[in-house]
Amino acid sequence: MRTPRVSLATVLVAVSVSACAMFETRETKLQAVKTVGIISAVGDEITFATGGLTGLNNRSQSFPIGSWGLDDLIVQQATAALNGRFQVQPVTYERDAFATVEKDSIVTPVNVIRGDPFKKLVQTQVSPQGLDAYIVITKAKSNFGGGSRKVEGIGFLTYGTVLESYNQVHALYEIRVFDGKTFDVIEKMTAPPLDDVGVVRLAGPSRTIDESFTPSAGNPAQNEKLHAAITDLVARSLSTTLSDMHLADVR
Amino acid sequence: MVGVGGGYTPDFEGAKRSMLSPVPIFSIRRAGATEQFRGPRDGASIALIDFGDLRAGPVGKFVAARKANSYSELNGLGDVNAAVELGGFVEYFPVDWFRTRAEMRQGLGGHHGVVADFSADIIVPVIQRFTISAGPRFTWESTKATSPYFGVDAVQAAASGLPAFNAKGGAHSVGAGAQVSYRVDPQWEVHSYIEYDRLLGDAAASPLVTLRGSANQTTIGMGASYSFDVKIR
Repeated sequence: MRTPRVSLATVLVAVSVSACAMFETRETKLQAVKTVGIISAVGDEITFATGGLTGLNNRSQSFPIGSWGLDDLIVQQATAALNGRFQVQPVTYERDAFATVEKDSIVTPVNVIRGDPFKKLVQTQVSPQGLDAYIVITKAKSNFGGGSRKVEGIGFLTYGTVLESYNQVHALYEIRVFDGKTFDVIEKMTAPPLDDVGVVRLAGPSRTIDESFTPSAGNPAQNEKLHAAITDLVARSLSTTLSDMHLADVR
Repeated sequence: MVGVGGGYTPDFEGAKRSMLSPVPIFSIRRAGATEQFRGPRDGASIALIDFGDLRAGPVGKFVAARKANSYSELNGLGDVNAAVELGGFVEYFPVDWFRTRAEMRQGLGGHHGVVADFSADIIVPVIQRFTISAGPRFTWESTKATSPYFGVDAVQAAASGLPAFNAKGGAHSVGAGAQVSYRVDPQWEVHSYIEYDRLLGDAAASPLVTLRGSANQTTIGMGASYSFDVKIR
């Protein structure tokens, strides 16, 4: 009768020790990091999507917004937030390669067992090599509505109900910290929703906006109000996310 | 997500009377994933293939044991053990507000037949927090899935007073369901549903149903659930 108790206790101790070991490994790795490079590939395009009660054609439309300089802004703000703890060094990289990498397989177990899709890009597309860590900020996805459709990165979502419709902007991104020598992921987090979450629950920063933000016909990149709303979302969420990852000390 | 609900369901499939019973609500989803539409009759499932509007993967359902001594209508019919049904599902959203879903499951334990459920739901957000959904249902069952619950063999006929009946498979039931949900705040949601089925084929023709039960099967349920994040660092 004693044997099962001993076995259970042994298992519990083993699990506890291994959990502590994993935690310490991540913390220890981050403590050893002195020099970092920041890569951002979030802001190349804005996507307009419709959800809820829509017509039969609910295909999304995308427009380039590279002229907004969102990725430069993200690098600047992340640099300012991290400079107290790390020595941030400028890096060059192929932004399009990071922006267009296919992160999710349609066969979901593949996403669990395969390696990180950005690992090889950090190894081959970023210069200089040899920094202690690389912080990679890329687009994240979220389901929306009751179905399984997804929105990604920077976007404008119109959600229709029987009585009214709502407009919402989102800036969905995730942050990875790669070890500069092994290129393993030390830490990864998706930017969480802000406190003033929008009508449609998204798994990332978003906010409801009124009709005045709706771009009229033409290039949405020219819409300064939309530009300002997206910039505000990124600015408010970035420091929070870096703080949640224990990379930045203050919010 | 955790919660609790109550279901007013037939005492057993084919029964005339219903009973109120508690129903626990529990679901886990990946961090960062948002809640998706789920019908009251859906089996527990996980999508292994996900195209966005088309999803597929394994599904499972538990069918409680039917104890003959629990209800007088079942006297002499013997017990049917609990069954676990395992199989696959596929669901398709041609648009956000319309879902079609099919499940095919193989029974283990109480029955060893095949069950196929088909459903369609129109999902209508009335306002941002209040959603109504409704649609038709259809179930097909093989003989091995129907017989343990609706067949009456010679021994059971002698013991129960019902005529012997050889229940075969086929179209099992047709019906409709509706659901309303209201999100009180980002964490709390309350919901209610009603599902109606009309038994068909040999399930409806079984003496258990024609003499002691009803082909009309209605389930009413309601519940409240609370969503929260658990961070594991």
